[in-house]
Amino acid sequence: MDLSLSPAQQLLQNSARTLLQQRCPPERVQELALDPRGFAADLWKEIATLGWPGLLVPTELGGSSGSVGDALALVEEMGRACFPSPFIASAIVATAALTAAGGRRAQALLPALAMGERICALATLEESARLDPGALALPVAAPGRLTGRKLFVPDAHVATDVIVLGRGAAGPTALLLPMDRTGITARPLDSMTGDKLFELEFAGVETSPDDVLGAPGHGWALLAPAFRLGALARSAEMVGAAQRVLELCVEHARVRVQGGRPIGGYQAIQHACADLFRDVESARWLMWEAAWKLESGRPDADAAVASAKAYGALACLRVARRGHQIMGAIGYAEEHPLHLFHKRILAAGLDMGDATLHLEAVARAIGLA
Amino acid sequence: MDFGLSGPEQAFADEVRAFLQAHPPETFPEDGTDAGYGSGAHSHAFTRALGERGWLSMGWPREHGGQARPMSYLLVLLEALAAAGAPFGPVSGCLQVSDSIIRHGSETLQREILPRVARGEVTFWQGYSEPGAGSDLLALTTRARLDGDHWVLDGRKIWSSHAGIAAYGTVLARTDPGSTRNRGLTMLMVDNRLPGMDVRPIRSLTGQVYHYEIFMDGVRVPRDWVMGKSGEGFGQLLKGLDTDRFWGRFYKAPFLRRILGLLVEYANTPVDGGPSLARDPVVRRRLAHAATEIAALRALFYRAAWLIERGQPATGPVSAAKVMADELGQRVLSMGMEILGPYGVLRAGSRWARLRGEIEHQYQTSWGHTLAGGTSEIQRTTIAVRALGLPAEPRGRV
Repeated sequence: MDLSLSPAQQLLQNSARTLLQQRCPPERVQELALDPRGFAADLWKEIATLGWPGLLVPTELGGSSGSVGDALALVEEMGRACFPSPFIASAIVATAALTAAGGRRAQALLPALAMGERICALATLEESARLDPGALALPVAAPGRLTGRKLFVPDAHVATDVIVLGRGAAGPTALLLPMDRTGITARPLDSMTGDKLFELEFAGVETSPDDVLGAPGHGWALLAPAFRLGALARSAEMVGAAQRVLELCVEHARVRVQGGRPIGGYQAIQHACADLFRDVESARWLMWEAAWKLESGRPDADAAVASAKAYGALACLRVARRGHQIMGAIGYAEEHPLHLFHKRILAAGLDMGDATLHLEAVARAIGLA
Repeated sequence: MDFGLSGPEQAFADEVRAFLQAHPPETFPEDGTDAGYGSGAHSHAFTRALGERGWLSMGWPREHGGQARPMSYLLVLLEALAAAGAPFGPVSGCLQVSDSIIRHGSETLQREILPRVARGEVTFWQGYSEPGAGSDLLALTTRARLDGDHWVLDGRKIWSSHAGIAAYGTVLARTDPGSTRNRGLTMLMVDNRLPGMDVRPIRSLTGQVYHYEIFMDGVRVPRDWVMGKSGEGFGQLLKGLDTDRFWGRFYKAPFLRRILGLLVEYANTPVDGGPSLARDPVVRRRLAHAATEIAALRALFYRAAWLIERGQPATGPVSAAKVMADELGQRVLSMGMEILGPYGVLRAGSRWARLRGEIEHQYQTSWGHTLAGGTSEIQRTTIAVRALGLPAEPRGRV
């Protein structure tokens, strides 16, 4: 048993914390959230020079072949800073899928993703909003023409490439398309979370067999492990964000004086802070246990990830919601960062399968018929 | 990150599993009620069986007859016992008291008592709370004065678990008559058979006896039946608090997982040829949600264990795990009562009882857990002040 980050992971986390504290303060996050096309291009370049987007890319393709744990340690810090970026979609989920798929197109794209020069989006959800192979309706044929739409596609405005999962004759099929292929239109969805979500419309987009990622009909099998990794990364992001909410609340409770003493000296506030601590810590260690199960290839890893994502979403949202009560009126103001963390947790909880979806996976894992 | 067992730890886990298969827990006679913490009923026979295998003393230093095994072995053992529903009720008390004897006990205590603990022959009660000293433990008034070679003990302790079927108790008493609060306290070891001891059962809302009230009237305790020096009682109490709370609740997660398994089994059973409860989306979601919470609780306990084993501050995670264990237990058992509907209230042994009537009993016991071992309110204050650094509330003076 070793419930600690490796020295290299600690180093990564510390340098990420320092960088993001300096370069991604709450004011910057706020500015990016309020701008409908907000993207920190400068910061993305900066983290690219540090090699973050290439963390999971194989060494021979220009990355550093990092471990799942390395990526999660980094993402936890990104959550703590509420750093908005396409990192999880591009550098974790798409990178994992492309690495698993192999082939000429994937191998050509991965070095550019590692350098941060290209960004790959994921187009999976449709009107049903269910991350489920049975819910895929977009007809895919390659060669052929792609017509239809995808919803809730994050960061399509900055993506250079997109993985589209649709229904082929042989079953779920994944395509890798450049975003500038004729017939692809991205329309922003106005989301209260400040995340940049898009509707992707495909109007007779020409496809060739070369666009197929992996084998036709095997798209779900190819992407499911990448989604699992994405769910874990979103869990780590939520834990990081909830950790920051806890810190903000405790700091506030120490310095805010009412009735002649800090409000943190009153049991009502103390007990609320204690509950935040319980929720953050339990979500964090459940996430790390799932990460360990995934990395060591244990048979119950899928259920553990589902459990960590479902629990993390509910527990971290509890933290944010209770945080508003501790913080008092100032936390209701747009200029205060609390709502940014709240909304990030909300968005992360919905991405890569919401609590409802993951709880159904847990229901099956505990043997419910 | 590594949540796994090492080769030798896995071998030990297999050994425990084999023991439980060869000696089904339900075949051991029970002497005391199951208080619902996850450690099952009190069984002298089962405790002796654990002692025979050297498992009660395996964590002790070698000079005290132990095997100096790391804490992880104890985690493996207790988790396996709880998952099997074994009656190891007194074991965590034995671990806590023996740990205290090893660290603070006189040579006499170590020589007299430790070998009998190792064999599983004796169990203990802890005498902390008093009628006027509950959450405010330091208001305790039980006193001991030195008279020649003996301490003379007078006072009253209450809510001591299984005191009537234990051999000894540890009593926190005021040995400096002029002292107040945390000063002048000493931990004494008291033999139940001493003249002046009166151990009276308290029947609980379950209809069974788990707690006792202990009246001590001029009880003469040998001078060296003391932990450390006089006046060190509070320091010892504080030092042991995190580990006591940890070992008093660690097995709650595997216990709740076992209860959840029973509820899943029940939900999967078709009712009157119709669809099973498992197909009801609300029931399905609630059971799954509980499963995630139990898994999170277990992970939190393992984090606390990891900190304790390294001697790092663990107060926050331990108190958080205790709060979570006890409140989650109440939620899971309440959910069980709802799922069973009118059948839920039927006692074990009733003709129509479902799931052997286990849910009703554990449902009832769960209401004591957020009070015992420091209330949830005390735990939350502890987390806020000691782990998060919030200012302590001013103490009232009457």
